[in-house]
Amino acid sequence: MEAYLKYYDLFELPPEATIEEIYKVYAYLKALYTGDAMETTALNTDFSEDLLQDYLSRLDDAYEQLKLLLETKKPALTKKTDVMDEGLSDWIKSIACFSGSALKTVRERMGVDLNDIFAVSRIQPHYLEDIENEHFSSFRAEVFLRSYLIEYTRFLSLDSQKVLADYLPRYRKSQGQA
Amino acid sequence: MDTPEKHCKIWAVGGGKGGTGKSFITSSTGTCLALKGSKTILLDADLGGANLHSFFGLNKPRYSLADFFEKKIPLQDIMVQSGVANLGLITGSIGSLDSESINFAQKQKLFRHIRALDADHILIDLGAGTHINTLDTFLLADRMIVVTVPEITALENMYQFIKSVYFRKMKFIFKTYDLNTTIQDTWKNRASHNIRSLKDLITHLRESSEYIRDIFDREISGFVVHIVLNQVRTTRDILVGENLKSACMNFLGLKVVYAGYCRQDEAVHENINNKEPFLIFNRISPVVKEIKTLTDNIITGTHLSVRKDLVNGSLSQIL
Ligand SMILES: Nc1ncnc2c1ncn2[C@@H]1O[C@H](COP(=O)(O)OP(=O)(O)OP(=O)(O)O)[C@@H](O)[C@H]1O
Ligand SMILES: [Mg+2]
Repeated sequence: MEAYLKYYDLFELPPEATIEEIYKVYAYLKALYTGDAMETTALNTDFSEDLLQDYLSRLDDAYEQLKLLLETKKPALTKKTDVMDEGLSDWIKSIACFSGSALKTVRERMGVDLNDIFAVSRIQPHYLEDIENEHFSSFRAEVFLRSYLIEYTRFLSLDSQKVLADYLPRYRKSQGQA
Repeated sequence: MDTPEKHCKIWAVGGGKGGTGKSFITSSTGTCLALKGSKTILLDADLGGANLHSFFGLNKPRYSLADFFEKKIPLQDIMVQSGVANLGLITGSIGSLDSESINFAQKQKLFRHIRALDADHILIDLGAGTHINTLDTFLLADRMIVVTVPEITALENMYQFIKSVYFRKMKFIFKTYDLNTTIQDTWKNRASHNIRSLKDLITHLRESSEYIRDIFDREISGFVVHIVLNQVRTTRDILVGENLKSACMNFLGLKVVYAGYCRQDEAVHENINNKEPFLIFNRISPVVKEIKTLTDNIITGTHLSVRKDLVNGSLSQIL
């Protein structure tokens, strides 16, 4: 994921940006630097052909890379069931209660990184960590936690309803006490 | 570290071209700071055409900076009240800051006295041009502000100004490390190093040794100029600031902050002619809000964010 940040930086967009947003900025910058805008004309000799070509190719590259990340990678990454061997799926079935630490164990046994989940769900990794550590105070309202949990379980191909039923009562209890 | 209460912040307003609105921006951001309760002093350092007093409907003050240098009159006594609460004004005059009558040591003395003034903010209106004294004064400020307008000639002058300031800064820093000959020699032999621009020079120097790269990172990487875009007429004009930021980064290798814009509004003109400080007398012009936004952005070093509007297409509703 780190490697992609420099592409987002080039567009000055946050990692939450959608591919449509990225495309708009990409098209905008491309038009700016290939048209004869006064902002570039006024640079005179500093607007050199070398620098321009270098910039445009970095722009193209960044757009292509992010497109790959956001479009192609998505279905590939969500199919985590592919890597689920029989032992693993039996073991998951045997889990009586999906606590945060149980979720973490499942994820790690699947070899999934939090950044992989982030790349598809756009949920910041620190929230995913808070789910796993049952750090409930990070979630201001149940709706947030709920939607995050659904994304999380969908990514790992777990039974969302079962996980929610196991997990949310502990959150509610902590809110009741607060 | 100094506590912010004890240390006044100096803002310098410059930019290559004349008539872009430097004095208007200085007077109205100064008024904005004063209205926020910040003790503010405006210093008119435009040698040829000191006219900051006119923005407050005042006549030219009797004493000027020349009296500080020649008769040792304290700055506090040269200052006049602007008519706006919390806002004082010190006027310059021909000869007070030009190269023949003032050397670098005197300029540093002036800055010591400026910093000792009882104020939270001192705003210096530098006037047009890229005279070496203008550049040096600009560099001594805590916030460096360039006012430009969306016209090709003004942008050319602005780029030139920013490059000159940066080059001056670089030379100054290298001198303190006893490396002044390095820059000169590199520049003299630029053809053999394939250096064609300031950006090439920076890249070349940075790559020449780890020691020099360290100096850049430590001393010069924090160098940022704040851009204010004045007399904006269309939505496309607003984006000029955003584009300048991108162009400066990619083609000059320099960081700038697009602090904000002010639209072209007849009201500005009318208020000046009626001897009314714009921000005090005008409650309707959208420029008032624009001045507030850009002042806040300069205080905090924040970019005006138009990228989001650009992305969701809402920019067309702004003007
Ligand atoms: N946003 C604006 N809308 C309308 N008129 C403006 C605006 N900003 C400045 N002006 C007008 O432009 C003229 C020049 O402004 P100002 O004196 O501030 O420029 P300057 O950069 O200080 O000029 P100089 O380089 O001569 O010192 C003024 O008469 C002012 O009325
Ligand atoms: Mg002026």
